[in-house]
Amino acid sequence: MNLSYLILLPLFGFLINGVLYLRSTRNSKKVSAELSGGIATVAMLLSFAAALYNFFLLRQLPAEGQLFDQMLFPWFKLAGMSVDFTLRLDPLSSVFCLVITGVGSLIHLYSIGYMHHDAAPAKYFAYLNLFCFMMLNLVLGATMPHVFFGWEGVGLASYLLIGYWYHDPEKVGAGMKAFVMNRIGDIGFLVAMFIAYKFVGSLDFIQIANTPLNPEMTTTLGLLVFFACTGKSAQIPLFTWLPDAMAGPTPVSALIHAATMVTSGIYLLARMHTTIEASATTLSVIAAVGACTAFISAVIACAQTDIKKILAYSTVSQLGFMFVACGVGFTIAGVFHVMTHAFFKALMFLGAGSVIHALHEEQDVFKMGGLRKKLPITFWTFVAGWAAILGLPPFSGFFSKDEILIQSLQSPHGSMPLFLVMMAAAFLTAFYMTRLLVLVFLSPSRMGQGVEKSVHESPLVMTLPLMVLGVASVVGGWFGLPIHEAHVEEAAGSSGRFIMLASVALALVAAFIAYKKYGKTTKVEQVNDIAREGFKIDAFYLSFFGNGTKNVARWMGNLIEQQVIQRMIRWTVAIVDLSGNLLKVAQVGSSQAYLMMMFLAIFAVLAWFLFGVGQYAKF
Amino acid sequence: MNGEIQPMMMVVVALIVFGIGLFGLLIRKNLLIMLMCIELMLNSVNLCFVAFSKMHQSVLGDLTVLFVMTVAAAESAVGLGLVIAMFRTLKSVDTDQIQILRD
Repeated sequence: MNLSYLILLPLFGFLINGVLYLRSTRNSKKVSAELSGGIATVAMLLSFAAALYNFFLLRQLPAEGQLFDQMLFPWFKLAGMSVDFTLRLDPLSSVFCLVITGVGSLIHLYSIGYMHHDAAPAKYFAYLNLFCFMMLNLVLGATMPHVFFGWEGVGLASYLLIGYWYHDPEKVGAGMKAFVMNRIGDIGFLVAMFIAYKFVGSLDFIQIANTPLNPEMTTTLGLLVFFACTGKSAQIPLFTWLPDAMAGPTPVSALIHAATMVTSGIYLLARMHTTIEASATTLSVIAAVGACTAFISAVIACAQTDIKKILAYSTVSQLGFMFVACGVGFTIAGVFHVMTHAFFKALMFLGAGSVIHALHEEQDVFKMGGLRKKLPITFWTFVAGWAAILGLPPFSGFFSKDEILIQSLQSPHGSMPLFLVMMAAAFLTAFYMTRLLVLVFLSPSRMGQGVEKSVHESPLVMTLPLMVLGVASVVGGWFGLPIHEAHVEEAAGSSGRFIMLASVALALVAAFIAYKKYGKTTKVEQVNDIAREGFKIDAFYLSFFGNGTKNVARWMGNLIEQQVIQRMIRWTVAIVDLSGNLLKVAQVGSSQAYLMMMFLAIFAVLAWFLFGVGQYAKF
Repeated sequence: MNGEIQPMMMVVVALIVFGIGLFGLLIRKNLLIMLMCIELMLNSVNLCFVAFSKMHQSVLGDLTVLFVMTVAAAESAVGLGLVIAMFRTLKSVDTDQIQILRD
């Protein structure tokens, strides 16, 4: 078993593409999307093969010892503790590796078609490979600093890719916003690391899990880790960056902001689940935040008109589902939903990308319509994703989502209010997803004449990933998690079966309502309500934190700068001035005067030592 | 004892000569006189060396005197050269006139 190939292949892809890009800037010859994309895709496919190979090797180990550590090099030493750069493969990281490299390869492939007309595809693919390298570090790291390295690395790659079209200041701003909001969450990660260092004495996850802490410290650690996750995984209160992150190229949204990076919060909670589940407070906070996020962002998604924004809020909402799974102490259901969600959400994002590509960068769903005939492959794969997110049997979402719904009621940490909120969120999910599907594909066309003529299905390089992901969205849930068999059956008692039926019925009702409401839309609708603006949470952050910080800075500028720093400078000047004036008296310019001073000084020193003048002045 | 010159007497004489030299160096304005004062100081030190050499029955002091005299000769040669150069450029050897350090 050798894990280094897994992470090194994307790194090589990044380096090769980076060098190609730098060379192309010098001789101003564009590196074609086929070449750079081909390199990146092959790197990812090989990495996927390595992940598969390691996965099967891991499966052959006995069930209790499914863990493999590979130390690459000693990393750094702290007082009384050394941290190695160690990759750790266990069932959890193995599943994440498969999702990252598998879905990642498909999205790389898709990007070749999507970025065909871009000015610098080599740069794009270099960033994309860098992201995969960092993401694999995140899930394979055996210690907190290693995960943090990946955590920051994916943040960097996300920032670079959101602002990829950097000529548009709005997109650059969105990238910065994502970066800053993630930094806020990182405080939680850092402080959690400090606590682990101080109270556990080790940053290795196994050590942390096996060292019992006192209850307060366990709760603090859990909540700090969760706070870090709210940043990366876009939960309340730090979720507003994700919808803006849609400024990046659509495959990026599919890979980073739907399938992989935003699920790293779930990964971290799953990785530290012993600590999390040791504290009931932490669990209930996670469940409450997850449920609120799932519901509120589902409401917001119902009022969006931008196709990618709808999907973005949908992602936030689905992440909320996963957090609820972690919050009721059922992390494994969350990880299962991560996997199925990666399939169907990546599929829908890529489908949306295909639509946007066909319509020449049109993103408003009210300016689409009737695309079922024109984009048949996109349509049918999108339907698979739609059915999966609705949780219709036998699509993959049915298994993972209903498991979360059941657990939110039946788990010892679940409760009726939690369950009801989750059902409401599931209902809204079905509503906005059907609305999206109907407005884009089924309702009468509202496109302009010129646009409508040039609409064409995307090339095979883009539709192939769609078809593969479509199949995965159907079958992805049949086998449960590859690490964890027969879960749905064991959980589903009679009430479980009832919940399943209820949620499917609810989804169908919501879908029917949405179809009735939007099926005949013929004109561009102007939605202008508070939900469309995300409940003005962004505006609140801007006025409260943004302007608040500005005001504090201004106040500091007036008070501290004027009163303290300026005054200190003035005093320094005055002291130098005064001492200069005093001492310049001695500078007469006559060598004899200097001689006089010299001898007087010599006599003084001699007097001090020889005649014991100093003994009267003891210090 | 009687009739012989006591070493301490020589040290006292040397101190007096050194004082004259120092005093002259500090108050006389003529560079030539100042150079002579420096020679006086050097020679007073030589006197001390000789006295102490005698006192400790050691030849080292006498030896050092020879070195000091050599150096003093070189020093006065350089010093006189400097004084002549200064007189040529500044037309004066009066320290009151030569205060260009301040400018």
